[in-house]
Amino acid sequence: MDSKILWRIALIVVVVGLCIWSLYPPGEKIHYGLDLSGGIHLVLQVQTDDAIKAELDDASQRLVSRARDDGVELGSTESNISDLSFTVEVPANADTAALRRVASDWVPGYKATPGVGKWTFRLPPNMDRTVRDLAVRSSLETIWNRVDQFGVAEPVIQRQGIESDRILVQLPGVDDPARVKDLISSTAFLEFQEVVGGPSPDRQSLITGLGGSLPSDSEITPGDREDLEGRVIGTEYYVLKKAAIISGQELRSARRSQDQYGQAVVNFSTQPHAAEKFGQYTGSHIGTRMAIVLDNKVISAPVIESRIPGDGRITGNFTIEGAEDLALKLRAGALPATITYLEERTVGPSLGRDSVVRGVRAAVAGLLVVMLFMLIYYRMSGLNANVALVLNIIILLGAMAYFGATLTLPGIAGVILTIGMAVDANVLIFERIREELEVGKTVRAAIDTGFARAFGTILDANLTTLIAALFLFNFGTGPVKGFAVTLSIGILASVFTAVFVSRTLYMIALGGRERVETLSI
Amino acid sequence: MRIIGDTHFKFLSYRRIALGLSAIVIIAGLAYEFLGPGLNLGIDFVGGTQVTLKFREEPDLGALRSDISDITAGTPLIQTFDEAEKHEILIRVENPEGQEGDFTRPIIDLLNQDLNSNLEGRFDLNLKGSRELIDLLAAADPDGVGNDVETRTLYYEPMADAVLGHRKEFGIFYSIDELGEVEDLSVGLRDYLEDSAAVGAFSILGAESVGPAVGADLQKKALLAIGFSLVGMLVYIWIRFQLPYAVGAVVALFHDVLITLTALAVTHREINLPTVAALLTLVGYSVNDTVVVFDRMRENLRLHRGEDLEQLMNLSINQTLSRTFITSGTTLIVVLSLYIFGGDVINTFAFVLLIGIIIGTYSSIFIASPAALAMNKLLTARRERRRLKGKR
Repeated sequence: MDSKILWRIALIVVVVGLCIWSLYPPGEKIHYGLDLSGGIHLVLQVQTDDAIKAELDDASQRLVSRARDDGVELGSTESNISDLSFTVEVPANADTAALRRVASDWVPGYKATPGVGKWTFRLPPNMDRTVRDLAVRSSLETIWNRVDQFGVAEPVIQRQGIESDRILVQLPGVDDPARVKDLISSTAFLEFQEVVGGPSPDRQSLITGLGGSLPSDSEITPGDREDLEGRVIGTEYYVLKKAAIISGQELRSARRSQDQYGQAVVNFSTQPHAAEKFGQYTGSHIGTRMAIVLDNKVISAPVIESRIPGDGRITGNFTIEGAEDLALKLRAGALPATITYLEERTVGPSLGRDSVVRGVRAAVAGLLVVMLFMLIYYRMSGLNANVALVLNIIILLGAMAYFGATLTLPGIAGVILTIGMAVDANVLIFERIREELEVGKTVRAAIDTGFARAFGTILDANLTTLIAALFLFNFGTGPVKGFAVTLSIGILASVFTAVFVSRTLYMIALGGRERVETLSI
Repeated sequence: MRIIGDTHFKFLSYRRIALGLSAIVIIAGLAYEFLGPGLNLGIDFVGGTQVTLKFREEPDLGALRSDISDITAGTPLIQTFDEAEKHEILIRVENPEGQEGDFTRPIIDLLNQDLNSNLEGRFDLNLKGSRELIDLLAAADPDGVGNDVETRTLYYEPMADAVLGHRKEFGIFYSIDELGEVEDLSVGLRDYLEDSAAVGAFSILGAESVGPAVGADLQKKALLAIGFSLVGMLVYIWIRFQLPYAVGAVVALFHDVLITLTALAVTHREINLPTVAALLTLVGYSVNDTVVVFDRMRENLRLHRGEDLEQLMNLSINQTLSRTFITSGTTLIVVLSLYIFGGDVINTFAFVLLIGIIIGTYSSIFIASPAALAMNKLLTARRERRRLKGKR
């Protein structure tokens, strides 16, 4: 055999070997889409107007309380979401210079417009975007934390597009949509609790430390143990008073900031009605630890340094990212905006399993009939096409496993369709070879021209199908995307097997002989 | 072996009959879709809620319909799903105003109230999720594992999964006695469940809810996908062949899509995202078929210069006829196999391809080439006029 054939065989063996290797074992390597594995698909919308409303309320309250500290009494305030502003009543005798100073210190970025008895403060458009973006991001964070509790393998929780207010949640294998939705949209998972004991690396030593039994008003709550750089290195436990000091619903906002030494800190503020309660507690517990508990997990346990009225500051050995994270978690606990459900799909696993079984049955039945037909119609050349067809399916499945593509229900249809269309390239070539033989060409010449002429046709015909598949991928979602991927890989694989593999098989079959008189086609 | 040998059909002579026939079907179809009953758009595109349920006994569809229509705006669509003896039904309703994409629960609650009152508050093994079962078992602790909730949860979790695994496999518990078939259950747990749990009348196989906003969005995306791929192919064929052929191919595509849509409308099949995927596949398939014929025309134009285009087209179609039939045949075989064995979920998908392949094969012979020929005549005539004008 000459080296050209050997080189071709080597390439085919490598490609097919690689595909079999990435495919083995098939049950584990092929990812089933949600429609086959069963699970929950949710698209939710974050009502970012809520966050804007909160920001406006927050800013107006801040302005009023800080102005009062500076001796400027202001009247009632009103937030107006539609034009992103709040108005505040300003008495005629107020010190406007002092008000401007307070405004630039405490509601920075807002554009102040004095009016008759009433000032308007408008949120600039870039801050509008930031607030909305932040609301979606912290909702995403909350949802992550809460879904974590389900222990779902490979959950998908992502924003649909960069600026979008929609979040996609996919939980394979989960069968309680009502519970998932309750968990996601509930609000009060954040609590500030009094620390009684800990932290300690295990529960037992905590209980021993308390004299052998846990008091009925206390509970043990885990938290991440972190090293100095904030990396999680294990779990530690705290003993906390069950009754919360305040809950997440009573928290209004939290953001990363800096103290006078340039150290990263987290500023937060409570709702007005909780401010007094919080101030009283912190005032009487200076020097003790207070745990911030999110979804039953201690995320931070800072020492109370002074009485905290409505606005507080959490200091600690924070990096900038650490402070940003904590602020995000605090906001997350407060859920910045309500969530509405736009799309909800639950697929029971029995439906999916049924479809897989039936799909495989249809594929096998179709495959057998097509192979039988090719064998009868083209005889030995049909065998050649059948080998190419089987390799085509192996490559298709192998490539899907290798790229981690998802097999969906329409995807199964795509695989089956590939079986039908894959022989098309072979049919084109064989019909061409027959024509060439009819005009009296030798077998070798007929094969050469047959492949050469058919190749142009195959290329044009498949590229057009590929165009359809690409747009399908671009605009499709979920199952349809999976179908587009299957179809595209199938098209590429069929060109390889029908053109390259079949040609090589002819070369092998005819290679050894001096003169070839007939071709079984 | 050879099915179609050397043929010399004058396909283009029949173009008036073919075009007329297709035009009648398409116009009748459009009239049916826009003036008549119209297309059956699924919840993917118009929004709404769709629930697939499995019943222990044959459900009374009439009673269900009157039940559900009390809480929904329009008439609910209720039909059997898959084979009748499986007792699976599909319920599709419009969401009432203000209920964006979340209307599954009211339906389930209503049916639960009506059909499961005999359970008297016992735990419904056909309706509850795995978490609820774990919580129930951890609270009751039938095996007396101990007082730590976490340990109990860990202990009962695999058994709860096994119990619901049985439901997942068969779709429903027909009777509480089936607990005996579930392996790995402790005796205490089985006794406990047989006492305090029950099997309700139905289980949920799947539930989908799409809000109108998302529906409109998906509709837009589907139309864009179809539009862009048509334009993409037009441009590609224009570049690789010539404008008349590109026009011919796209005319054939519109023809195929419109006729297939008519078939969907007449059979009241639901149009959802997978249906659109099937339509786009059909677009790809049909153009593939057409391109093969055009490719041969391009070759013949080079070989027989100066010969009449209509003659060349006939020659090319005849030369590729054998291939057209074999490829359509093999594809039809697998799609037919999908149509017969694929099950209800994928049936419409297979139906679109089935119709599409037949129509696509017809159109690549009788529609695409005549359209290209007509376009070519048009362009030649215009060029001629311009040339004459230049002379004058």
